[in-house]
Amino acid sequence: MFFHNLKYTLKTIFKNKLLIFWTFAFPIILGLFFNMAFSDIESDEKLKVFDIAVVNNENFKNNTLYKEIIEELSSGKDKVFNVKYTSLEDSENLLKDDKIEGYLNFKSDTPNIIVKKSGINQTILKSVIEEIEIRKNVLNDVVEKQVKIEIESGNYDINTEEIVNNILIRIDDEVVKFNNKSNSNLSYMTIEYYTLIAMACMYSAMIGLTAINQSLPNMGSIGKRSSITPTKKSVIVLSKAIGSYIISTLGIALLILFLKFLLKIDFGSKMLYVVILALTGSLAGTSMGILISSIIKAKEGTKVGITIAVSMFLSVLSGMMGVTLKYVIDKNVPIVNLINPNNMITDGFYTLYYYDTLNRYWMNIASLIIFSFICLLISLISIRRDKYDSI
Amino acid sequence: MKNIVEVKNLTKEYKELKAIDNLSFEIKEGEILGLLGPNGSGKSTTINSILSLLTINNGTIKIFGKAMKPSAYDIKKKIGVVFQDVAVFDELTVEENIDYFCGLYIEDKKIRKEYVQDAIKLVGLENFKKFYPKQLSGGLLRRLNIACGIAHKPKLIFLDEPTVAVDPQSRNNILEGIKKLRDNGATICYTTHYMEEVEIICDRVIILDKGKILASGTLDELKKLANIEEKVTIEIKDLNEKYVNEILSFKNVDSVVYNNNDLIISYKKGKDNLTEIIEYLKSKKLKYDNIFSQRPTLNDVFLELTGKELRD
Repeated sequence: MFFHNLKYTLKTIFKNKLLIFWTFAFPIILGLFFNMAFSDIESDEKLKVFDIAVVNNENFKNNTLYKEIIEELSSGKDKVFNVKYTSLEDSENLLKDDKIEGYLNFKSDTPNIIVKKSGINQTILKSVIEEIEIRKNVLNDVVEKQVKIEIESGNYDINTEEIVNNILIRIDDEVVKFNNKSNSNLSYMTIEYYTLIAMACMYSAMIGLTAINQSLPNMGSIGKRSSITPTKKSVIVLSKAIGSYIISTLGIALLILFLKFLLKIDFGSKMLYVVILALTGSLAGTSMGILISSIIKAKEGTKVGITIAVSMFLSVLSGMMGVTLKYVIDKNVPIVNLINPNNMITDGFYTLYYYDTLNRYWMNIASLIIFSFICLLISLISIRRDKYDSI
Repeated sequence: MKNIVEVKNLTKEYKELKAIDNLSFEIKEGEILGLLGPNGSGKSTTINSILSLLTINNGTIKIFGKAMKPSAYDIKKKIGVVFQDVAVFDELTVEENIDYFCGLYIEDKKIRKEYVQDAIKLVGLENFKKFYPKQLSGGLLRRLNIACGIAHKPKLIFLDEPTVAVDPQSRNNILEGIKKLRDNGATICYTTHYMEEVEIICDRVIILDKGKILASGTLDELKKLANIEEKVTIEIKDLNEKYVNEILSFKNVDSVVYNNNDLIISYKKGKDNLTEIIEYLKSKKLKYDNIFSQRPTLNDVFLELTGKELRD
């Protein structure tokens, strides 16, 4: 029954011209458009080293970790920014006169990031600080554990500074290093194509939605007919979900192949990670469509409208129309983007672009898998429990 | 004959409206039971409730002696349903559509292949196997809809107005097909608002209106409820009211209606009425174009029971 359903799910979706256009052709057409519109800009738009200031107060002077990392990030050929160590007043004036993109003010262990506007450089600055904070927390955990071990082994004469230094030496090779990618193979335009892939992932929701609608009795005669068969709902829903995912995956694969081999987009050395993220994103998109289809009691047109609206809204929140909003949301209501699958996808791509380490990337992958699992679980429960007052 | 379906005190409400009001009936093995009623009388709701597609407010439903519920897969295995709306995939051919729906019941590919071909043959779509639904006429599409519902050779079949908007040729084909299914051993529940179809194929009829059973029985039993035995219709132009009143005073005449040059005379008794009226018209030198006699129809029964036409 399962494979019988799967076979016909694939057949019906593949022959649905409208669906195939929006999920297969549209992202490719958009990619072509991007290529035509922006390819000339690329050479002028490589990421440049930008200027920041750090308020050189006592808090900063005592913050060894930040001092070292900021020094590292502002020196050498791969530096991310130029740093001026100034007073608070001078920092404010520099920002006011547009001589810096932002400044860091250490009122405690963690700096406040002060920017005048939102943009790519401001986002980079914020991401750098976030990464340092993650690293700091990891370090604290390790130190805490080490102290505990020392106490348990009867050594009460603990030199914390020594422990920190030892750990720093031990993890030196694993330390997060931020490099400016402006001179590497990854181009600024690649971000645009990353967002395109993310958008295509969210379009997978349409496939999931259409497939599941066909098994719901309140969504039309085919659903009614399926519901009175001896085939269990779970078998029908699962086969349709897997069928939808296979087709979404093919659509994404086609898009990536098109970008790589026809538009010659260089995804750098992280192609495998791009593929993994795209496939996970596609799973999240498909699952979201399935969830909308199963929990919203409305006509198919309304559901399609809701899916498009939700996808667009999530895209906007995650910065697909410009990173400003993403930055504002990340700063003020981080929970919104933490549960936003579109943000998980775009953030995963940004991570691939900006960072050498993959911690945050894998966190996004895990979040997408959890999101998909929850969507599918709720859908299955909802469909199994569904009883209809009218059809 | 044993009962295949037993419905007791079935009630289904939509907010204030009682779509089905305390309905009780049985469908006996091997019969074609007609559910006859005007649009909105509760026929489709009854079928959807029996099939557990709808939640019901009250009542019990047993099929093959077991309580029907959404998870009663062993019962569902033996049921075939043809809904009023065509339920096929536009993206699949005739053969693929039948194979898909048949495959939800029959796992064995070899048996399924055979069943699909049998269904195609039964509805006369042999020449359209590779056609897509959009390439089919309305009648052929209805036939495909039926084939999808019965390909797995169910023992109990529900057909919900399968001939709506179908050309006469396809309708005859469909009705013949339904008779064949019954002859092959299936029990059938057939809903329609076309009384002619009920008269052609049904062994027993339930007349529904506003969710209630008005009457049930065999055709002969129901027609006795009509209170008339014969209806004579005469096409006659410009008939004076005087003659209408004279005819009304004839022995056995129940009512006379003259409308649009059609004179319809209803008789309480059904003997020698035609001879009598022809002789009367001759004696009055009244010219007429056409004259024919009919037994009372289910519409007359419905009229008698509700005071309105079946298609009002």
